[in-house]
Amino acid sequence: MTSTLETQTTATREPSGAVREVGVAIIGSGFAGLCMAIALKRRGETDFVLLERAQDVGGTWRDNTYPGAACDVQSNLYSFSFALNPDWGRSYSEQPEIQAYLQRVAEEFDVRRHCVFGAEVAGARWDDEARRWLVSTAAGDFRARILVSAAGALADPTYPDIPGLDTFAGTVMHSARWDAEHDLSGEKVAVIGTGASAIQVVPAIQPIVESIAVYQRTPAWVVPRTDHPVKPLMQRLYRRVPGFQKAVRGGLYLFREFLVIGLAKRRRFLKPVGKLAKAHLERQVRDPKLRKALTPDYTIGCKRILISNDYFPAVAAPNAELVTAGIAEVRPHSVVSKDGVERPTDTIVLATGFHVTDLPIAEKIRGRDGRSLAEVWEEGMVSNRSATVAGFPNMFLLVGPNVGVGHTSMVYMIESQVNYVDDALRTMDAEALEVLETTREAQEAYRALIAEKSKGTVWLGGGCASWYLDKHGHNTTLWPDFTFRFRKLTRKLDRENYVGVPAAAPATTPEVAA
Amino acid sequence: MSAGTVLRRVAAVRTGDGALIHAVVDGSDDAPVTLVLAHGWTLAQASWDDVAHLLTPKVAAGELRLIRYDQRGHGRSTWGRYADDVAELSIDQLGADLGALLDQLVPTGPVVLGGHSMGGMTIMCLAAARPELFTDRVGGVALVSTSAGDLAPSGEKLAERLQLKLAPGLVTAAIGGARLVERFRQLVPPSHPRHRKIVRELLYGADATDEMVIAGAEIMHASTVRAFAAFYPALGQHDKRTELKALSGVPVEVLVGDSDKLTPQRHSRQLAEALPDAALHVADRTGHMLIQERPRLVADAIERLLTAATAGRAAA
Repeated sequence: MTSTLETQTTATREPSGAVREVGVAIIGSGFAGLCMAIALKRRGETDFVLLERAQDVGGTWRDNTYPGAACDVQSNLYSFSFALNPDWGRSYSEQPEIQAYLQRVAEEFDVRRHCVFGAEVAGARWDDEARRWLVSTAAGDFRARILVSAAGALADPTYPDIPGLDTFAGTVMHSARWDAEHDLSGEKVAVIGTGASAIQVVPAIQPIVESIAVYQRTPAWVVPRTDHPVKPLMQRLYRRVPGFQKAVRGGLYLFREFLVIGLAKRRRFLKPVGKLAKAHLERQVRDPKLRKALTPDYTIGCKRILISNDYFPAVAAPNAELVTAGIAEVRPHSVVSKDGVERPTDTIVLATGFHVTDLPIAEKIRGRDGRSLAEVWEEGMVSNRSATVAGFPNMFLLVGPNVGVGHTSMVYMIESQVNYVDDALRTMDAEALEVLETTREAQEAYRALIAEKSKGTVWLGGGCASWYLDKHGHNTTLWPDFTFRFRKLTRKLDRENYVGVPAAAPATTPEVAA
Repeated sequence: MSAGTVLRRVAAVRTGDGALIHAVVDGSDDAPVTLVLAHGWTLAQASWDDVAHLLTPKVAAGELRLIRYDQRGHGRSTWGRYADDVAELSIDQLGADLGALLDQLVPTGPVVLGGHSMGGMTIMCLAAARPELFTDRVGGVALVSTSAGDLAPSGEKLAERLQLKLAPGLVTAAIGGARLVERFRQLVPPSHPRHRKIVRELLYGADATDEMVIAGAEIMHASTVRAFAAFYPALGQHDKRTELKALSGVPVEVLVGDSDKLTPQRHSRQLAEALPDAALHVADRTGHMLIQERPRLVADAIERLLTAATAGRAAA
C-alpha cells in the first residue's frame, strides 16, 4: 500500500490514467486539510489523499507571501492543540514562520505521503449508483467514499471590477499572489483596499517606494498590536514546564472570547474597544483630515477589527496619501479617482480580499441531483452544523459556512470541525454505513439557530457592509456566539439529523431507505 | 494630461540633514509656471486649501503646477536633525528646506512663491541665503500676514519684560513636557466652544464664518506642542529687515488683515516700505488667517504674479 501511494504522490500520472480508489479525499492542505489528515492518521487510517492544487502544503499561509504578511492572532493560540510550538520567535508570527510550522507538522505526522500536489480540483460529483464521489483533478481522477472540502475561505482572491484595469501598462498584483521578483523600490505604488492584507502590506512597502497612494472605500477600526519577540527564557519554559504553554494558550483564548460578549451579546461592551481604537488613531495621526478619513462610521467589530502599530504612521508618512474619493478608472500609467485627480502609478497592489461568501469550491461540487453546491446555495449558504449539506451525501465541509471567526483563532474552529467529521466517519464505520446524509430539517433548524444567534450582533446591526454577510445581508460566514459553544455543538455527531444507508442496502435514495 | 483631471503626485523631499518634507504636486511637469505655497506656524499645507481650490481650474488647464508642502516639524514632514534638540532651530532652516524643495521638485522653469505668516518669513530667509534664485528663477512672491522681523516683545512694558524673562524657561518646559501638555490640550478639542472662541479672537477677523474657524482650529490642533514651542523662539529671532534686497528685484504682493493680532499691519507696511515696488493690500475686517478669510483676494494676487512670471519668461 505504502509503495503504491508513494509512486502516486508524484502527481505525474496521466490524467487519462486509471481512476484511483480512496477512502477519503480531502481538498486542500492548509490548516484544515492537514488537521483532518492528522486526525485520520492518528487513529490508524491511511486510505486518504489530500488534493492540493499547489506544490506544497500550507494553503492561505503558503499563498500570502506579501511583505508584512502576519497573523492577527497570537501564535500560541493560532496553532494546533496537538502540536504546540515552544519555538515561536514572536508573539504574533509572520507568514514564513507559520508556513514553516505547517510544513514541519506535515512532516512530523507523515502527511506528505498522502498529498497529491498539482491536483487542482476541476469537479467533484456524487455517483449515487456507486455511492462514491468522483473527483477529477489536474493530477488525475479519484473515486472516494468520503469527500472533505478543506478548501478554505481565504483561498481565491477577488479582483475588483475597475474600468480600465486591464489596460494598465504597469504591474498589477494581488496581495495573495505576490511577485517577490518585482522590485517596488522607487516606484509610485497604488494599494487598493484597506482590509487585513492592506494594513500589513502598506507599512511594509511604504519605506522603500517613492510614493504610495492607498485607495480606501471604508476605513477599518484598528487597535494596537501587542507584538513582541518571545524571550529565550519563555521558550525554555514552554519547552520544559509541562502545561505552561497550554495555560498561556488558554489565557489568550479566554481573553479573546470576552470579545464575543460585545460582538454578539451586548454591544455596549464594545465601547471600551472602540475607545481604544479611537485613542490609537488619535495618538498616531495628527492631521485632522486624515484622521477623519480614517475614522469608521460604523460600530467597531462590524467589520473585522484589525491590529497594527505601523499602518497609521505609514499612511501618514511624508510619501503617502490616503485617497477616499473612490476610483473612477485606471489608465495605462495612472489611476484616476472620482474627484478628477489622476495619480501617475507604476504598480497596482490589489489588497481586495477573497471570495468568502461565494466559496469557489461550491461551484465544483455536484450533489445527488446534479446541482452544484453553489446552485443549492443560491439563496445563501445553508448547512447542518457548518459541515454537511442535504443532497450531498458523504461530503463534509471544513471552513465552510458559519464557522468564521474574527476575534480568535480559526484553528480552534477547525479542530472542532475535524472532531465532528471524524466522529461522523467513525459512526459510519461502527454502524457499517456506506452513505451518511443530513436532512433538510436539520439544515433549516441550523439556519434558524444561526439567524437567532445573529440577531442583535454587531455584524448585522453595526451599520456596515462586511464580507461576513452574503448578498442577501445574512450572516452565512461567521459563527455568531462563543466558540466553545460551537465546540460543544460539534463534539459528537448529531446522529438523529442524519439518514444512513448500510453498506448492504440496495442502491436507492436514502429517503426511501430510511 | 487628459482633460478634466488634475495630475497629482506626492513627494517626500529629503533635505541635506535627512528630514523628509511632504509635498503634494498638482499639475503637469510641463506647465509654464510653478507655484509653491509655504504655510505658517503650527499650521499645515491644508491652510492653503481654499486658495488652492480657486487655482484648480488653472492647474486642470495645464497652465499651472501647484506645490503645497508641510514645513519641517509640521504636518507629515519630519524634524530631521532637530529630532532630539531644537536649540539650533531657526527660520533660516525653513528657508533652506524651501530651497531644497525647489532644487528637487522644480529644477527648471519660472516659480512663484507664496508664504503665509512663518511661510512668508521662510521665503525671506531663502531670498537672503540664495539671492541668485530670485534673479533667474523666482518670478513673483506673495507675502501674506507676515513680517520681516521685530516680532519679539520690545520689553517696554512690565508684562512684556516678564514674558521675555519667562519665555525661554516655558519653551524648555513645554518641549520637555510635551506629552503632558498634549494630554491637557486634548481636553479642549476644536469642537469645544471655548476653544473656538479663543482661536477666533486671536486669529480671525469679524467676517470669519464658524466653518473657517473650525477648519483652522483643527489644523492647528493637529500640530504638535513641540512645533509650537520649538518655533516660538525662532520666530522671535527672525529678522530679515536688512536682508530683503533679493526680493526688491521681483514683483511682490503684500497682504495683511486690518485686525491681524499676530503680525499686525505695521509689519506688512514695513515690508512695503522696504520693497518699494511691492503692492500692499490691507483687507478690512480680516485677521491673521487671511488665506482662509479672503481666499479670493489671495488667489487674485497670486494670479497677477503668475501672469507676470510667465510673461517675463516669454520675454526672456
